[in-house]
Amino acid sequence: MRKFAFADSGEGFVPPSTADFNLPPVFGDNEFTTKPILLVLFSVVLISVFFIIASRKAAVVPSKLQFAGESVYAFVRNGIGQEIIGHEFMRFVPFLFTLFTFILTNNVFGIVPLLQFPAMSHVSFPYVLALISFFVFHYVGIKKQGLGKYLKGIAFMPGVPKFVYILLTPIEIATFFLVRPLTLSLRLFANMFAGHLLLLVFILGGEHMLSGAIGLKLIAPFAFAFGIGMTFFEFMVQCLQAYIFTLLTALFIAGALADEH
Amino acid sequence: MEGTLNLVGYGLSAIGPAIATGMIFAAYISGVARQPEARSVLQPIAFLGFALAEALALFGLVLAFVL
Amino acid sequence: MGRSNEEGAMWSIFGYLLSGLVIWGGIGWALDNWLDKNFFLLGGLLLGAGSSLYLTWLRFGRN
Repeated sequence: MRKFAFADSGEGFVPPSTADFNLPPVFGDNEFTTKPILLVLFSVVLISVFFIIASRKAAVVPSKLQFAGESVYAFVRNGIGQEIIGHEFMRFVPFLFTLFTFILTNNVFGIVPLLQFPAMSHVSFPYVLALISFFVFHYVGIKKQGLGKYLKGIAFMPGVPKFVYILLTPIEIATFFLVRPLTLSLRLFANMFAGHLLLLVFILGGEHMLSGAIGLKLIAPFAFAFGIGMTFFEFMVQCLQAYIFTLLTALFIAGALADEH
Repeated sequence: MEGTLNLVGYGLSAIGPAIATGMIFAAYISGVARQPEARSVLQPIAFLGFALAEALALFGLVLAFVL
Repeated sequence: MGRSNEEGAMWSIFGYLLSGLVIWGGIGWALDNWLDKNFFLLGGLLLGAGSSLYLTWLRFGRN
């Protein structure tokens, strides 16, 4: 790779970088109390409390809270579970629902004032989620079809001349065991990382312009306005990424359940 | 500022496939909207067109890493 | 066959193309380094892209 480099012009604007994602521990120097970890724990408490309260006084005529909880549940159950997986979907709804609410809450933390950090912009969290999804869909497939038949279904496409398998089998195996979990996690990570970085650029850049010359001060409000607009765009991306992660997990499960895919 | 020019080249090379993918799905959507029963005919064609365009984008990605 | 299924199909096409290019391009790159040539990489990439497209056709284009 050919490198290029521009000399930094001394005391100028320092653009936000990956270093802004490595936050120091909150309590003392205990590495297990950094902001992302606390946010993930907080999200677990928040989701549990919300859905326990929403479902505790379940009534035929729902309260507002019950309605909110039930519409999220119905979205995952009907929109993702039933539509993708088919008649066996009820077994997987708890898993899909947990996945969806967990990712959604942690993503939306990225634009909630005071919290303002999406935990999924640290790549290790998406890796673990994708690993769970990876084990679930392979386990489901192996249990349903047996190990040999499942692997044969993955590696050998039916209706192809024998010699073409030399070309296709490595691709199929790499897709199922490497590329799928990797793209699943990296898509979530990259969206959250890039979105957070984008907001940092506009807000910090606007702040820097405010402390600059008079011409820059006049432009600064536009940077802030664009930053606010980007925040709403980010909200859309965060919901979409939670949906896509759950949707693709459901599709992988459906593919593992199907006899011939 | 530091970086590699390969990434700039990759960004430029991704413009073409991006436009191509947009046009393919625009045509697919308007075709299905006009004639919903044509979906099963149009879907494989749209996917193959998407695959061809995407292959070029991924060529750019791989070459940005290895060159 | 809903809209969401098409989204999944797009991502799995993407996965096939990526792994085809990486596997066969990687083999070509390794051969280049081993035999000190420079055409195996290009050949591997073309082979990988071709077989990925064939796989895509088998899975999504064939009715």
